[in-house]
Amino acid sequence: MTKTPQTLSHAAAERLSGQIELLQDAFRKLSSAATLRDLAGQFSGVVQEILPSSGVELFYKPQGAERWQKLSGGRVPGTDAMLPTLEGSSSSAWSVDAGSKSVAIVQRLVDKSSVGMVVSQVLDGETVTDVDLISLRLFIHLFDNGYQELLYRRTEKELVFSLNHRVLQLNSLIDTGIEVSKLDQGSSPEHLALERAASLTNASKGLVKIASADKVNKEIYFPDGMPIHGTARLEHSIAASFTFAENTYTFELFEKESRSGVVPFDETDQLLLEALARQVHASLENRFLHEQSLEKQRIEQEMSVAASIQQKIIPVSLPAIDGYDIAGVNIPSKSVGGDYYDCIPLADGRFALVIADVAGKGMPAALLVSSLHAYLAAYLESPIHLTDLARRLNKVIAHASTDDKFITAFFALLNPSTGEIESLNAGHNPSYVMKKDGTLQELKVGGIPLGMIDMDLPYESEKITLEKGERILFYTDGITEAANEENHFYDDAKPLSHFFLTHTPQKAELFIADLIRDIKNYTGSAPQSDDITALYLHRKP
Amino acid sequence: MEQQFSLTSELRDNRLIIATSGYINNVGGEAIATEFNNHFANGVKEIILNLAQSKVVNSIGMSFLLEILDQLEEVGGKMVFTNLDPAVEKMLSIMGLFKFAGKEASVDDAIKSFSSQ
Repeated sequence: MTKTPQTLSHAAAERLSGQIELLQDAFRKLSSAATLRDLAGQFSGVVQEILPSSGVELFYKPQGAERWQKLSGGRVPGTDAMLPTLEGSSSSAWSVDAGSKSVAIVQRLVDKSSVGMVVSQVLDGETVTDVDLISLRLFIHLFDNGYQELLYRRTEKELVFSLNHRVLQLNSLIDTGIEVSKLDQGSSPEHLALERAASLTNASKGLVKIASADKVNKEIYFPDGMPIHGTARLEHSIAASFTFAENTYTFELFEKESRSGVVPFDETDQLLLEALARQVHASLENRFLHEQSLEKQRIEQEMSVAASIQQKIIPVSLPAIDGYDIAGVNIPSKSVGGDYYDCIPLADGRFALVIADVAGKGMPAALLVSSLHAYLAAYLESPIHLTDLARRLNKVIAHASTDDKFITAFFALLNPSTGEIESLNAGHNPSYVMKKDGTLQELKVGGIPLGMIDMDLPYESEKITLEKGERILFYTDGITEAANEENHFYDDAKPLSHFFLTHTPQKAELFIADLIRDIKNYTGSAPQSDDITALYLHRKP
Repeated sequence: MEQQFSLTSELRDNRLIIATSGYINNVGGEAIATEFNNHFANGVKEIILNLAQSKVVNSIGMSFLLEILDQLEEVGGKMVFTNLDPAVEKMLSIMGLFKFAGKEASVDDAIKSFSSQ
């Protein structure tokens, strides 16, 4: 039997009025329920407070569901069968079972789900009074109000969670940028960024692929070892990439998680992934620049030490040779080559003149020049033939240097009283001799550069006599190959031999000064690429 | 790099101690919740979650943790996180989990904190 409440009697109205306060108190209780079951439990208590002799069972049916779920009360199965069906757009329905003295009520809730209530032993006599029905209707509305409060709190909680998550995303983005920039050189910023990207976008897995033009060089998976196959690669994925040092770094995320399954990534996820990828890109670039800066610093320090070594073995002044005028110059380049010259007085009254150039630059070249200087000084302390000197130097320099390092050198032993010069050219530029008649003689006889081959190869020497008024010039390729801004060599444009023959000042120092000036005029603002070294000897008339 | 998820648990003095390893996401969070619910139904109200081997957590995983906290709050229970990676600790903090849960450096410290209450 279904019944609609009729007009109330005065007594019934008074009874209902007395229940209003109870309802207000009940609303406060129901408003604090944390869960649906909690709400149902509270509600059953309220009903039983008003109808102490009644039994209350509550059921819940989500929108679209066919079966009722029991929320509270009673242990007798099948009670839900008493609940009436809501017809059409009706928001509530009643049914009264006079036999079991029970009333069943169904109420549609705010989210289109339904609550059902079966109240037993509610009948007063054999009929359901209007007051009973109105009371129960009020109660079930009370449940709806409590349910709305529950939904509001749930929505509020979800909103707070969502806002916190946005704050977390922003915070993590900033933190990740700082962290990747602080990572050690050996660690991988792409690992960290992939982890953070997966976490912040709720991706279930991710991949960083580092590939060059035709091959994949490295793949990093998140979680480690998690396979990424087939459809996972095609659906529900986002990607961001950049290119650095000829490698393309591609970040991919797969399968955005939700509590109800995999959902599509949104625009924010894409923006986050791109931002994290950019941070990795910036980190890699910064590392590269930092490494370059350290390398530059290291080279500059090495150059400074090398220059110091070189300058210590270049003579500050040359010995005076009776009847001769001698001058030399060494202008190191910025990158520090390995040029060397000297004039060493020997015990027998002769002088050893030497000019040398180490293949290579920097610290290795400076150290090799230093070795040459030391060995030369040691060997020349005792009488030694020039070819033996070259042979020994070849051996020790070969042992002291790497395969790509060797020294070209020109040696001359001058007997100042006779003008006799014995010379040996170990792979060096030929020295020029200007004869009295104005002709040029090149001194080329010798052998291979020192240290080039670790074999006991023979060297030859040649002898000339430097007559009064004649001159001799030793030089390194830093002079002949001094380049101008068009990268053209000095010797090609202005042959050194011509300068040598046409510039004959009284003083050796003047010749050197004129030569350097001429070279500088030629090279202009082009940077000096190699050491400029020369040694000039003039036998006075 | 983070491993796939796994967990171990033990019950000590009616206190559930769960140690996780790997990504706490939907799968990881659900596994923790299932393990918790199995014991919660038997009246366990105190839980220690050792995250030493979990360096990455997502919001789905955190939603499971919040649900556990809700359940514990209803019955006056408590959860304590231990061995937190700094990044994870910051995430949990921003998400508001420490309003309802404690944190300690180690499981032993967590046990002591329960005992001192």
